[in-house]
Formats: sequence, C-alpha cells, structure tokens
Amino acid sequence: MQKFRDVAIVGVGLHPWGVFGEKSMPEMAVEAITEALADANMEWREVESMVSGGYLWVTQREGMFGILSGTAISAAMGGIGIPITSCANACATGGAIFREAYLAVASGLYDTAIAVAADKSAGGFFRPQSEDPQFDLDYIRYVMTGETNPAYWAMECKRRMADVGTTEDDLAEVKVVTSKIAPFNPKTRYKKAFTKEDVLNSPMVCDPLHLLEICATSDGAGAIIVCSMDKAKKYTQKPILIDAAVIGSPTFGDHTIPLTYLSTFPRPGVGILTESRNSIAAAYKMANRRPEDVDLIELPDNSSWHYFAYLDCILQAHDGEAEKLLRSGAVDPMTGKLPVCPSGGLGSCGEAVVAQGLFQIYELAKQLRGEAGERQVKNDPKVAIAQTYGYAGNNAACIVSKAW
Amino acid sequence: MAKNKIPIIEGLFTWPSDKPQLIASKCKKCGTVTFPKAAFCANPDCEKKRDNVEIVNLSNTGTVWTYTTQIYAPPAPFKKEPFEPYGIAMVDTSEGLRVLGILTTTDNVKLGGKVELTAGKLYEDDENEYVTWMWKPVS
Ligand SMILES: [Zn+2]
Repeated sequence: MQKFRDVAIVGVGLHPWGVFGEKSMPEMAVEAITEALADANMEWREVESMVSGGYLWVTQREGMFGILSGTAISAAMGGIGIPITSCANACATGGAIFREAYLAVASGLYDTAIAVAADKSAGGFFRPQSEDPQFDLDYIRYVMTGETNPAYWAMECKRRMADVGTTEDDLAEVKVVTSKIAPFNPKTRYKKAFTKEDVLNSPMVCDPLHLLEICATSDGAGAIIVCSMDKAKKYTQKPILIDAAVIGSPTFGDHTIPLTYLSTFPRPGVGILTESRNSIAAAYKMANRRPEDVDLIELPDNSSWHYFAYLDCILQAHDGEAEKLLRSGAVDPMTGKLPVCPSGGLGSCGEAVVAQGLFQIYELAKQLRGEAGERQVKNDPKVAIAQTYGYAGNNAACIVSKAW
Repeated sequence: MAKNKIPIIEGLFTWPSDKPQLIASKCKKCGTVTFPKAAFCANPDCEKKRDNVEIVNLSNTGTVWTYTTQIYAPPAPFKKEPFEPYGIAMVDTSEGLRVLGILTTTDNVKLGGKVELTAGKLYEDDENEYVTWMWKPVS
C-alpha cells in the first residue's frame, strides 16, 4: 500500500443531539460547520472540498434534499464552487465521509476538506422507504417478518448469552457504566446516570433487551475539518493525526442476517459482523498499530449487546472478553485504564444515524486535546479509535492520535 | 364461510398448501441458496450467469439459531391486527440457509429447537385473511 501524506483533524463541531423539529437538516449542519470553522480558526472560503452524509428517511422528511444533502448544505452556507459529494453508508456514513475527506487531502488533491452530516432520525423505529413488494427487500422483510432493529439486536444478544455466558446483569451494567458520564456532556441528549434497578425495571422491548438497554433515535449534526499535516499548524496548536480512516463491507457467508435482509448462507469459519471485523482489521493495518496501542474507544452501543460485540471486535478479542473487561472496571469511562464511550455513547445521545460517526470523532478529538471538561478521561490518551456499524452491513472505523 | 387466505406478498412461499415451503434460488455450481430468490449466485467466486441459478422449494422444517419476542407494535407498514406480542426467529434449514420468520408462539421455543413452516394470519378484511410464513415449534 502506498503511503499518502499525513492528514490532521484541525476543527470539530457538533450541533447538540436531541429533537429539533423546528430546524431543517441543512440549518443544523450550518451550526455544526460554524463551530468547526471557529475551532479551526478557518474561514468557510478556505474549505477546498466537502463530503456530506446522505439522509436515509427521505420519504418522511425533506425528500430528495435528504439524499442530495451536500448541495443543500452548500446552498445554506453559500456556495463557493468546491467539489461536493453526498454519500450514504447507513449508520456508518459519518465514518465513511470522514474517510472521503481524509482521502481528498491525503491524495494531495486538496489541502483542506470538511466532512459534514445532519440527521433527523428522532421518533421511533426504522422503517422501509418504499412499498415495492418486488425488489425492496427491506419492505418485504418488514411486512412479512415484523423484524424491528431491536428485534434483530435481541436475537443476536440471546445467541451471545448462550455462546459466551453474558448475563442480564452484564447487559444492565452497560447502561450504568456508559450513562454515568452523560451528565457531563453538553452535546448529548439524555444527561442522566441510571442505576441497575432503573435499567432492569424499564419495560422489556425485545427479550432480553429492556428499553434502557437500547438507544433511541435523535436529531443531530456534526462537522470535522481535516488539513494536510504540513499546513495544520496554521489552524491549530493541537493537530490530531489520522492514522487510519476505513470502511468495511461484509464477507460472503457471514453468519448473521444483516438488518434489511431476510436470509444469509453461513459459511464455516466466517462468523458474524464481518463488515465490522474487516473494517477494524483494515484500520489496524493502515495505522500500523495493534489493539494494545489504543487508549480510548468510542463504539456503537446501539444496545447493550452491541457494546460487548463491538468491544470484542475493536480489541480483536475472543468473544466474551468484553464482559470480563466491563466486570473488572477496566473500561469505565471515568476511572478505567481503557475508557470506553467517554461521550456517554449512543445510549446517552440517541442515534442521529448518518451523523453518528462524526459525534464519535468529535469526542476523540476533544479527549485527545484535553478539552473534554468534566468528562475528560484520566489516562492521558494518545491513541484513540472509533467505530460505527450500520444497516445492511455497513461499517466504518478510524484511528487517530496526538500529533503535538 | 371461511375467508380466503392470501399471502401479503405473493411468490415468497408455496401457496395454497398444507405444508408451505419457502421459494428460494440455488446455484447449480456451488449450492449457494438465497431467499427471496435472486437472479445471480451470491458466491463471489461464481460466474454471474442467470442459467446457473434454479428455483427451489426449501425443506419445510428447520432449527432455531436464535429468537426474540417483539413486545411493542412496530409502525406501519407492518400490520398485525389485533396486535399481540409475537416471536421472531432466525432458523437454519437443511439446505444451509439461515432465514427470518415470525414464530406461531414463543412457548416451548429454544435455541436449537425444531420448527416447521406454516402460514399464519397477520390481519384480515371482509373477504380475506392476509398471511405470511411462520415457524411453528414442534416437540
Ligand atoms: Zn454459485
């Protein structure tokens, strides 16, 4: 693999996560971009290229502007004639557009690039976007099997409990541990720390997952500005090196049926979540780093099952190691030696689908710079990783590190 | 008079039938099975030739890989009237396919347990009952 030039994160911005019925997605994106530009001491006209996250629920809100989000956001900012791509990779979109922005600068074509995504997913279950009974597999799956996202997560969770011995107590503890830092994150939606009793007394949604063990859907927007490392000092005293920015797709024969599909043809030795394991392996290879090098993790805790599945995935550990780490306190975001989800995680913010990856990268940047205020982790992190996982077998991961 | 039972979407399982079977496609070269049926074999090492793929009716029994109970009513376009919580399973068939389906009941369901395919009603109108495939636990 050819080595590109080094690229740094120089500015990050987030519109808060929550419910913002009165704002359009481009408006929210403008607020996130404005914050990122201010963070980078950069003018809008200094941005040389842009990649935008394509919204999924276009039959419910904003129609085609949701897909052509980049042009809509550009119009709201004021067009400056730069190349803009709109890109949809489901919940992995944030990571995917971050990678595109990275590549635009790493290749040498541009010196600066921005990844921006706005999303209004608040308000319940994901659902199909057409009523085409012939070719929309998502529609066929949904009306014929009634499979919701939590139902899928719960099926995986039940299988994991049987395979590695995850307990109901472990599942509840995920919410306790990730939510205890949430009151200190001004950008997150649910600023409440929950007890194990709260979690176990919350309604069962899909056995074995309770309401407080699955994440809500939210509105939110994020923007990340990247710049060639040789010019980064113009914008920040604390450039963050992008060691790796990758996306992953599934391998034929994956053992699980990804959301939106009705079946899979499992092949021996392939296992589950191949898109995620492929992506994390690519990230370590690109960064020339190993799991032991990582000081800080943001993972996609869409449910308590995800927390365990993705902790194992990111650490490339045997299934079941994640439960041991949680029980040991090692991954506590406030006191652990390997803080996980110091943002409070998806459980605390609710998922703003295509912007979610940017929420994670924002958190890594704030923590590495030591700018996370009351939720600043205690282990002086130098290397951090984020991963998101999405509908239909989409994944993205990045590894970033202090470069000052 | 009994109402007609009509699949909500046609062409996914054999109907009418006492023992419905899922209608899938199978690659004549490598045996890969896909449901619903697909035009091309999904194996990356197989040639993308339509002639390589044939329609097959899957065996009407399977083994539960995992399952859950959907306790709240999903929003439209899913419809189950009157709404009651229902089970959903991933089931392995003898052809090597892992496939989704609603369970007729969550009583006596366990991982590794046997199920057989049937058709069950999700809603009805004055003339018809609208059915989908369902997995029924067998002891
Ligand atoms: Zn084949």
